[in-house]
Amino acid sequence: MAEPVIDIVNLRKAYSSVVAVDGLSVRVERGEIFGLLGPNGAGKTTTIRMIMDILKPDSGEVRVLGALPGAARQRVGYLPEERGLYRTLRVGECLTYLGQLKGMARADAQRRSVQLLERVELGGWVKNKVEELSRGMQQKVQLIASIIHDPALVILDEPFQGLDPVNVEMVRGLIRELRDQGKTIVLSAHEMSLVEMLCERIALINHGRVVLYGRLSEIKQQFAPNALEISPPLALEHWPGVRQVSVVGDRQRVTLDAATQPRDLLRQIVERGLPVDRFERATATLDEIFVTVVKGDGAHVER
Amino acid sequence: MSNGNIILTIARHEYAVNVRRPGFIFFTLLIPALGLIGLVVAGFFSGVAGRFLESQFVPSAPRPTGLIDQSGLFTPLAPEFARAYQVYTDEAAARAALLAGSLDGYVIIPADYLATGDVTAYAVGGLFDAVNIDSDDLQALLVRGLLVGQVDDQTLERVTNPADVNPILLDQQGLPSGGSDIGSVLAGFLIPYALSIFLIIAIFTASSYLLRSVSEEKETRVIEVVLSSVSATQLLTGKVLGLGALGLTQVLVWLASAIAFTGGLGAIVAGLVVTLNPWVFVLSGLYFLLGFLLFGTLMATAGSLGTSQRESQQMAGIFSFGAAVPFMFNSLIFANPNGGLARFLSMFPLTAPTAMMLRLPLTTVSPLDLAISLGGLFITIPLALWGGAKVFRMGLLLYGKRPALKQIWLALRQA
Repeated sequence: MAEPVIDIVNLRKAYSSVVAVDGLSVRVERGEIFGLLGPNGAGKTTTIRMIMDILKPDSGEVRVLGALPGAARQRVGYLPEERGLYRTLRVGECLTYLGQLKGMARADAQRRSVQLLERVELGGWVKNKVEELSRGMQQKVQLIASIIHDPALVILDEPFQGLDPVNVEMVRGLIRELRDQGKTIVLSAHEMSLVEMLCERIALINHGRVVLYGRLSEIKQQFAPNALEISPPLALEHWPGVRQVSVVGDRQRVTLDAATQPRDLLRQIVERGLPVDRFERATATLDEIFVTVVKGDGAHVER
Repeated sequence: MSNGNIILTIARHEYAVNVRRPGFIFFTLLIPALGLIGLVVAGFFSGVAGRFLESQFVPSAPRPTGLIDQSGLFTPLAPEFARAYQVYTDEAAARAALLAGSLDGYVIIPADYLATGDVTAYAVGGLFDAVNIDSDDLQALLVRGLLVGQVDDQTLERVTNPADVNPILLDQQGLPSGGSDIGSVLAGFLIPYALSIFLIIAIFTASSYLLRSVSEEKETRVIEVVLSSVSATQLLTGKVLGLGALGLTQVLVWLASAIAFTGGLGAIVAGLVVTLNPWVFVLSGLYFLLGFLLFGTLMATAGSLGTSQRESQQMAGIFSFGAAVPFMFNSLIFANPNGGLARFLSMFPLTAPTAMMLRLPLTTVSPLDLAISLGGLFITIPLALWGGAKVFRMGLLLYGKRPALKQIWLALRQA
């Protein structure tokens, strides 16, 4: 089995009396897009900062690309949640400097910054000062700064924050491109629909601990409700075995009570001769799973 | 990329970004500009601005002084005065030569000179000018003319140059502490004071840019990206080096303009370099460098703890005060450069750079004092860098909050 790109074992970090990360253990495998999720204050940013060697843990172990975090720094790209660039520098100059800090030669950093700015449709802004760009444009520049040095691992903390739908789509495409190039991506975001589209494995952190961890498909299956999605909608509210009926778009979600199986409902629909175009088992959205687990109604899944 | 290359990259970036700031350029050129304005105004007022600037910047051959000897006692001229003086038989010709620029001035020795001692000297100038005749040279010519043939050559020489006084002052321990002639006063006062002033200016200038750089990176949040790429120690060291070079640049521009505008200062400095022990300059340069490394690190660290640029400046002021303390006791140091207070201040790391630079030109500092002083700095500076980097990292990530002393202590204790 290949060595994990990130291997965190029993990590702990406290600020005075507040324990931000409490015995966290997670592995990120090579070449995957890994979702690091959690509510505000869960410990995600603290964990990421320890991976990036910006903070030192109180105890536990972190290995990044097979080395200590400080040694791997130049092979990791990082887009922090707290956005920031050198506002009075020109865009090209800012990116060149940030590339040099990652160990690039000046000429290479200059060339690559121009290439990547073209890629995100900001090629005409190389000589403009960063403060002249809109917030969304600055975010794209900061995203470039995180990948300019062609890192093996990219950590993106809230990459979609503040972007319009067009730019969200562009960033999503960029993330997929990076994965296709063989890079490993750790994605922390609150846009659950985007996380569902992109991530293969996730870890959900709450109060500094992992409360959910594993393959997304398996987790969704585990949290699948005893419910069906039916179209066209039918008047099923008072049918035996039906607990709740709700409409989701053009579909109807029918939640059954614990004793009723989907085939029981299907038999009743067929016996009454009612029309049905779609009849399938409902899956929980990541959004629903997130809320359920964070509110304490979910199960804790071991690795 | 190696550790050294990363630090140099940061240093070059800090220097390049700040050296082109309008504020820096303006302040650096302000002092020379004020000096130049002062010179032009003075020259304009006296009506000889052009001649003054010409005399400062355009080298010219020395001109002789005209001599009209109506007494007959001093002509023909002795060979040693032939270059400095040009004999004229009448005043009209001398005056014409003076106005034509061939002479610096001319002197009339009247027929009754022996009885009266009256000599009249003429030169061209206005209200604020002086008659620029070398009186020592004239005196030598007159004495020689009066005594030649009357006394032997040795006595004539002794009357002309009676004494070459070599002053020696002793300190409280009976050791030579320097002379009392103008050269020693300049060496004993001007150089150490000037160098120490330059040190303080360089520290304040560079530290203000250091604070601004640190505060800006914290306020704009770019610090998180930077710390994900380089360690806090590399960042701090790079900033101290780059902005230290910036402060030095400013000081060198001021120094060069001071030498250019005063003209003669360059000759004085060159002469003093010869008379003083060159080790004084080597050690002064070393203390200058060590002082900046120490204060720059301490002030950048203090600056990282502030929630705003203003607060950072207030915090950093505590350390810059250390550099200024020896100036509060400068009269005591000058009076007794090997006394207990001077020795203590030159060994205590925070005051050592400035205090030692005040002591070095005034006395022979013992090897023991130097060893303790330098040893203290060589221990303190790496400690300051090490501790500073830890506190620096913690402080920079605390947006909008000032860390408590307990937090600072915990940061220092972390491995």
